[in-house]
Amino acid sequence: MKGILLIFTLTLGFCFFGQADRKYNPAGMLSLGGRTTVSLFNDHKNEMTGTGVGGQFRLRFSDAVNTDWFFDYITSDILNYAHRTDYHIGWSVLFYPINQLDYFRQDGEFKPKFRPYILAGHCFDYSRIESKADATVYGERWSSAVQAGLGTHLELSPRFDISLTGQYMIHLGNHIETDYNFTTGELSFNEHKGASLAGHVLLTLSLNYKIAKLWGFSRR
Amino acid sequence: MGIQQKITGLFLLVSTLIYSQEKPSYFQPSLLRASATIAPTRFYNQNTTVAFINGFVEYILEDKISVRGEGFVMVPKSPIIMFNTPEIFQRNCNGWYAGFGYHLGKKNWKMDIHAEPGVLLTELAKNPTLFIEPIAYQWSVNPSYLIKIGTSLYFSKVCHFFAEINFSDAWARKTPYASLSMKQYGISAGLGFHLLTKRK
Repeated sequence: MKGILLIFTLTLGFCFFGQADRKYNPAGMLSLGGRTTVSLFNDHKNEMTGTGVGGQFRLRFSDAVNTDWFFDYITSDILNYAHRTDYHIGWSVLFYPINQLDYFRQDGEFKPKFRPYILAGHCFDYSRIESKADATVYGERWSSAVQAGLGTHLELSPRFDISLTGQYMIHLGNHIETDYNFTTGELSFNEHKGASLAGHVLLTLSLNYKIAKLWGFSRR
Repeated sequence: MGIQQKITGLFLLVSTLIYSQEKPSYFQPSLLRASATIAPTRFYNQNTTVAFINGFVEYILEDKISVRGEGFVMVPKSPIIMFNTPEIFQRNCNGWYAGFGYHLGKKNWKMDIHAEPGVLLTELAKNPTLFIEPIAYQWSVNPSYLIKIGTSLYFSKVCHFFAEINFSDAWARKTPYASLSMKQYGISAGLGFHLLTKRK
């Protein structure tokens, strides 16, 4: 037990030592933003490009690690016989792999910078596919999804940034398939249970503003 | 008094006047501005022009950055040119947006650009068959975005002029036929009001 305590204390000591020469630590920074999303290459048969809107807040845990907590509302067409609505609520971890480069150091007057990142995360989603001819004919499902991708912030001021993200989202769990008879105009839904993997590419543009620093106030 | 002295005196007088007329910068962080106006708007794919009531509230966060929320409400029966049938043109339409603005330019004359995600609510015919009367309508909520480019002139402590070009897009998918692009562009201009919420 004493050994564990000693290692813990030493580790803490190294953490403080490592941060001693830092003037500014971005950990604890909370941002609020709005986002717009385009959904491409949907796995669903005959599904076309979708468009969405949402919001997010961003909480930074360290110099290299940030997190996005988001909600998206996305709609798309399945040819012209049905339309699909997706609600996503989830989170992503953003990792800045080259954050230590001198390029990112802001000395003196602020200069706009690109800050690239890798992200991965998880979300819960609700999907509803509805017949265009008759809204009472629909299929729905709750599922979970994982997503991963790349992105970059464009930091236009110390507190404001525009972020562009491209990611692939894989839905896990139940899967709804639509069967449409083009002769009779009849639409039916088949639900497949199990680990069916269906995904889509999401391109997201978000606008974010830092509103508070929850912990780790900067040294003066 | 010779002509040279007169000219020198005149220059001094003019420069004093210019100096005395130097206006303070009204556009600064913590400025809250708002206005409402009529925005003539053209639906690109439906070849139809309508009038929207456009209102906004904007707060200046930094020298160049602001946060803004706004709404567009279509004036009922306002289509000026309308050759469309109910299945491709909405009876009612509202847009609600929130986003950020970026401001460039001189201290009281700004060039503005805004990007605002939001939703467009449309009321479209539910059963647009020629033989069913009256036509039933249904509302749908559609993801949308709004881009604005404009200019503002802050000429007094509480008033400014603004003129903006608006572009927005959305797809109305809750319709029995093919989904409709609600692509639209329009203009908003008028007198706005502002006040400084924090003193330096």
